[in-house]
Amino acid sequence: MTSKPMSLPARLWLLYSTFARIAALVVGGGYAMLPVIEETFVKKYKILTPEELVDMVALVQTLPGIIAVNSAMYIGMKVAGYAGAVLAVAGAITPSYLVIVIIAAFFPHLDPKNARLLGAFAGVRACITGLIIMTAWRTARKTLTGWLEATSAAVCLILVLFGCNPLYIILTAIPYGIGLLKWRERQRNEKQEDAAS
Amino acid sequence: MKTNLLLTWTFFKFGMMCIGGGYVLVPLLFTEFVENQQLISKNTFGNLVSIAQVTPGPIGINTATYVGFLRNSFIGAAFATLGLVLPALIVGALAVNSINRWKDNAIVKGGLQGARLAATALVVFAAITFLQMSVFIDHAPADCLNALSFQLPAWLGSSFFSAKGMFICALSIIAKEKFNLTTTPLILLSALVGALL
Repeated sequence: MTSKPMSLPARLWLLYSTFARIAALVVGGGYAMLPVIEETFVKKYKILTPEELVDMVALVQTLPGIIAVNSAMYIGMKVAGYAGAVLAVAGAITPSYLVIVIIAAFFPHLDPKNARLLGAFAGVRACITGLIIMTAWRTARKTLTGWLEATSAAVCLILVLFGCNPLYIILTAIPYGIGLLKWRERQRNEKQEDAAS
Repeated sequence: MKTNLLLTWTFFKFGMMCIGGGYVLVPLLFTEFVENQQLISKNTFGNLVSIAQVTPGPIGINTATYVGFLRNSFIGAAFATLGLVLPALIVGALAVNSINRWKDNAIVKGGLQGARLAATALVVFAAITFLQMSVFIDHAPADCLNALSFQLPAWLGSSFFSAKGMFICALSIIAKEKFNLTTTPLILLSALVGALL
């Protein structure tokens, strides 16, 4: 799986600490986590392939639950099974729990419209914008291997830009992918038969 | 104890209803706790949601923790958060496990390939949404925190261009791709620049 396999406790700690860090740093919902997940699990530790990262996006959109939590669960399952899923999710909720409980208990009248605070969040969002553009670029280069794939993805993008629910797009893309694979297999078989005869 | 278990059950139910992201969670919570049970006032709820948006961590988890805290302090916060992540850990983990087991099956393989194309479009869409939130803002800047939803984007008629956003976004790409800076210092630096500029 990796060049140097990690022990189970090491993998569990990696999952917990990474998702705690992601949850503490990243603002802007589930997709904002993608660049950090890519950097940690795909590039640095090579536990996950770029394809598995894209599968995660499709899966968290179709499963019940919060996207950020589902993403943590998916990576946890891939890296260390059920225990990994629990530890990754625990990591993803730790910063929220601490921060919110402290605010609710001690600063219930905190002004959420503080200019510096809003500025810091705008800064983080702008940074994540840059990171996610690069992640999108790499993902597209990896998955769009031919003109048919590129056109299909472009159609999905146009649909979602015009307000179509991503869930339905994925649910339609699944039988489409199955059909595409079958069709390609049949074409390959016919070619082989032609070559044989 | 009854309050706690009820909290877990309520948030578990709501978690199961969030398919494709936590965007429906806030309206669901509003109906349940403000309108039906009248346990939280309208003002408190509004303040709670804005705090959940400007604190680190997934917004859904932040909101759940806060509502749980208002119901039954530290323990209530823990039970509410637990309820919200249980769907991911039960339904999600089982789904990922069966996909892992059947990943060489032709139907699962084809389905994943199709879903991957849709997911690629969603990642590109996320990049566009983030650009719209931080560079080409279609609301007044103070309002852009509320632009986290996945609705029909108005980027075609965007009225706001944020130079600060563009600056941080471009610098992040250069720092990450050319100078291999990791995401943690990059995000912290962007928060600092955003707060000071």
